[in-house]
Amino acid sequence: MKLGPYRLQLQKRLALSSAKAGAISLLAIVAALALFSLLFILADVNPLTAYQKIFSYAFFNRFGLPLTISRFAFLLLASLAFILPFRAGLWNIGMTGQLYLGALAAFAVIFLFKGDPATGVRLPPALLILLMLLAAALGGALYAAIAGFLRGSYGVNEIVVTMILNFIAFWLVSYMIKDGGMFMNPGGRGESFELPAAVRAPMILGAPFTIYLALLLALLITFLFARTRIGYEIKAYGQSPAAARYAGVNTAFLPLLVFLLGGAVAGLAGYHYFAAVPGVYKIARNYGFFGDLAFYGIICGLISRGHPLAAIPVAFLFGGLSIGGRFVQGELNMSFGLDYALLGVLMITLVAFQFFFRYQIAWIKTDKEPRHVGIRN
Amino acid sequence: MPQAILSGIKRGDVVLELRGITKRFPGVLANDQIDFTMRAGEIHAILGENGAGKSTLMNILFGLLQPDEGEIYVGGQKVTFRSPLDAIEMGIGMVHQNRKLVLAHSVIENIVLGHPRAGKILNLTQARAEIEALCRRYGFAVDLDAKVWQLAEGEKQLVEILKSLYRGAKILILDEPTSALAPPETKKLLASIEAMSQDELAIVPFITHKLPIVLATSHRVTVLRQGRVTARLETVHSTEQSLAKEMVGREVIFRLDRVAVARGEPVLQVQNLSARSDRGFMAVKGASFTVHEGEIFGIAGVSGNGQQELAEALTGLRKVEEGKVLLKGEEITHAPARRRWQRGLGYIPSERNTVGSIADFSLIDTVLMNYYFDHDYTPRGLVDYARVRQLTEDLIAEYGVATPGAEVKARNLSGGNLQKMILARVLSRKPRLLIANLPTQGLDVGAIEFVQNKLIAAKRDKAAVLLISEDLDEVLSLSDWVAPMYEGELMGILPGEGALREHVGVLMAGGAKGEEATP
Repeated sequence: MKLGPYRLQLQKRLALSSAKAGAISLLAIVAALALFSLLFILADVNPLTAYQKIFSYAFFNRFGLPLTISRFAFLLLASLAFILPFRAGLWNIGMTGQLYLGALAAFAVIFLFKGDPATGVRLPPALLILLMLLAAALGGALYAAIAGFLRGSYGVNEIVVTMILNFIAFWLVSYMIKDGGMFMNPGGRGESFELPAAVRAPMILGAPFTIYLALLLALLITFLFARTRIGYEIKAYGQSPAAARYAGVNTAFLPLLVFLLGGAVAGLAGYHYFAAVPGVYKIARNYGFFGDLAFYGIICGLISRGHPLAAIPVAFLFGGLSIGGRFVQGELNMSFGLDYALLGVLMITLVAFQFFFRYQIAWIKTDKEPRHVGIRN
Repeated sequence: MPQAILSGIKRGDVVLELRGITKRFPGVLANDQIDFTMRAGEIHAILGENGAGKSTLMNILFGLLQPDEGEIYVGGQKVTFRSPLDAIEMGIGMVHQNRKLVLAHSVIENIVLGHPRAGKILNLTQARAEIEALCRRYGFAVDLDAKVWQLAEGEKQLVEILKSLYRGAKILILDEPTSALAPPETKKLLASIEAMSQDELAIVPFITHKLPIVLATSHRVTVLRQGRVTARLETVHSTEQSLAKEMVGREVIFRLDRVAVARGEPVLQVQNLSARSDRGFMAVKGASFTVHEGEIFGIAGVSGNGQQELAEALTGLRKVEEGKVLLKGEEITHAPARRRWQRGLGYIPSERNTVGSIADFSLIDTVLMNYYFDHDYTPRGLVDYARVRQLTEDLIAEYGVATPGAEVKARNLSGGNLQKMILARVLSRKPRLLIANLPTQGLDVGAIEFVQNKLIAAKRDKAAVLLISEDLDEVLSLSDWVAPMYEGELMGILPGEGALREHVGVLMAGGAKGEEATP
C-alpha cells in the first residue's frame, strides 16, 4: 500500500520484547470488544453501556468480583495444567477429566474419614484439608499419567487418550454423586454430599486460599522452566524430541512426568471449584459446566504462549468477561450464550493478532520511483 | 508471448544480465552491486561459502525476492519479477536443493503439474510424447510412470529438470545440484548438464564447495564472498587452489597429514553388532571392530548403507538386536544415552539442525545440551546459567564461532558455525570416544578444514575417534583404519596408510570383501 512518499510493508520480526507482545495483546482485546459490539448493536443495546456493565460487574462489583476471582483461579489452574505438557510439545486436552478425578479424590478423603453426622469429623480439619489437597493433586496426576505413560512408552497420541478419559471421568462423577452413588447427597438432588463447614477451604483476605495457591504455582512453574534442570529437559523435548534424545533425556519418562505434573494441577482446579469456592462446597449437579470451562485453559495457555505468568492476566480477563457477560445477558434481556460468544470472539481475535508477533507493518520511505512490473518496451 | 524473447537465440548470445543487484536484509547486506552475465550454451557456476549471498541472488533470479537496487535483463530486455511465475514466463527454470515434488504422484503427473496447457483435464498422451522427446534429446533415463517416492535422489532431480524444460526453460538454475547424489548419479547428472548446454541452454549451478565439479563441468565461474563478486574466472585458467582462495579469502590446505600418535588402550569394542532400520530390516549386520586411544577409525560408505544406524546403536539411540558394545571395557550395549555421555562418549550427529541442536535454543542452551546432566553445571537440579554462559562464551571465542553473542538462537547460525558450536560443545567434554557422523557434510571449504583439524586434535588428545563419512578422500586422508561399509556389513578393515582409493571404492560399492587386517 502506498501513502504519499511512504509505503506500508509487512516485515518479519527478528525479536519481540514482552512489552510489545503485551501491547499487541491489549490491541487484540480492544479489537475483539469492538467486533463484539456488533452483537449489542444488532440487539439494540448501546455497546458502551453493555461493556460498562460487564466490566463494572466483573471487576468492581462486590458480588461480581468474588465470582470473577474464583473463576480466574480455576482458569489459571486449568491453564497451568495445559501449559506443563504443552512446553514438552504435548497436548493435554484432559483437564476436564483430571479435575473431576481430583474432586472425587478430595471428596473421598471426607467420605472415608467422616465421623458420625452429629460430631462432624474425626481427624483435625487442618489435616483433612491438607489430605484433600494432596488427594486432589494425586487423583488428577494419576489420571493424566495414563495418557503420559501411553505416550512415552508406546507413542499413543495423548490428545485422543486425554479426550476419551474426559468422557469416562464425566460418567464416573455421575455414577458417584447421583442416586445410589457413594457420594450422593442424602437429599438425593443429583449432587454430592456437602462438605462439613470445618473442612471447607479457609479464606484468606476474603478469597479462598486456592487463589494464592494458583498464583504461587504460576510462579513455581515459571521458575521450573527458567532455572531448573528438569525444566530444561522439558523444553528440549518440547522443541525437538530427537535432539532431546540425543542429549540423553529419558524420552519414555518425560511425557509421563509432564502429565503427572499437569494432572496434579488440574486436580487442584477440581478441588478449587468444588471444595473452595464459597457457596458450592459440593460436586454440584451442573459439574459438567465447570468441566467445559476447563477447556478455556487450553485457550489461555495458547494465548499466553506457554508462559505461566502471562497466563495470569489472560485467565483474569477470561474469568471476568465470562462472569460479566453472563450478568449483562440477564440484565439486558439478551439471548442465552452471550458470555460464551464473547469469550469465543476474544479468543479468535487474540489468536489472529498473534500474526503480529511474527510480523510487523513498517513505513518505508520510497524516494525512488517504483519499478515497473513486467517488461518495459 | 513473453517467452518469445528467448526464442531464436544462438550460442553465445547474452541471455541474462544482472546489473548492480543489491539486496539488504535487516543488518545484512546480502548482495552488494552484483553484475553477472550469462550466455546461451554456457554452464556458469556461482561459487561461494554458506552465507556469501548465493541463495539471495538465486532467489532474486527466480523472482522469489525483489532486489532493492539493480536491474535484470532477459534477452536484452529489462524485466522485473514479482513472483516465480514471472520468471518462469521469461524462460527461467529452477531446480531447488530440497525437492518440490508430489511424492505420491507419477513422474509425468509431476512434470505436467502447474503447466498452463495442462488445463482441467490432463492430456497425458500429448505431454508424454513431448516429454519423451526431451528425454531422448538429453539422454535422460527415467520411467515416466513410476511414482516419485520410488525414485532415487538423482532421478528426482531429473524430474525437476524435466519439469523446468517442459515449461520451456532456457535458463536453468540448479541449486547445489550434486549435494544429495551418490558418485555414479553425480556423473550421470554432469553428463546431462553437458548435453543440455550443447543445446543453447544456459545453466547456472550454485555450488558451495565441490570445487572438482565446478572445474570439470562449468565454462565460467563467478565467485561470491560476503555478498560481493570477488572473481570472474574462466574455468580453464583456474585450479582448486585458486578458486578456494577467492572463495575463502585465504589459502586453504586441502590435504591434511596423518599424525602419528602412539596407540593406547582399546576404548570402543564392538562385537558382532546388529541393529534394525526404522523400517524394520537389518541395517547393521554383525559389525565387529575395535577403536583404540589415539586413533581415527574411518567408516566409508555411500549413505544408506547402515552407517546412520550403526552410529545410533553405538550412542544409545537405537536398539541393539544382537552383539555387544564395550566402552572402556564396560558393557554399554543397552545403556541409556545419558550414561554413555557420562562415561566419556561424545557424539557429533549428522543432522546438526534437528538432532545436534535445537533451532529456537540460544547458544547457551545449545551448549547446555551436553552439560545439563553434569552436577557442576546444574547443582541440586538448578541450572547455573552464569557458568554455562561463561563456558559458551569461552567456546565461541576458542572455536571462532561467528555470532553476535551467546544469546543468539541456533537457527541464526550458518551451517558451518553451528557445526563449530556443536563440535566445541562435544569436544569440550574431552570425550574418550568421539563418534563423528558426516561431520563435514554440507560445509564449505574453510569450515571443513577446521572440523578435520579438530578431529585430528582429538586424536592427539588420545581420544578414540570413529569417523563416519561419505567422502572417501576425507576418510582416506584422516583415518588410521578404514572400514568400507556396504549394505550393513563392514567389507574389511584396512590400514589407512597405503589404502588405495580404488580398492576402497570397490569395497564401498559391494565388491569382493577385502582381507581382514587386525587393528
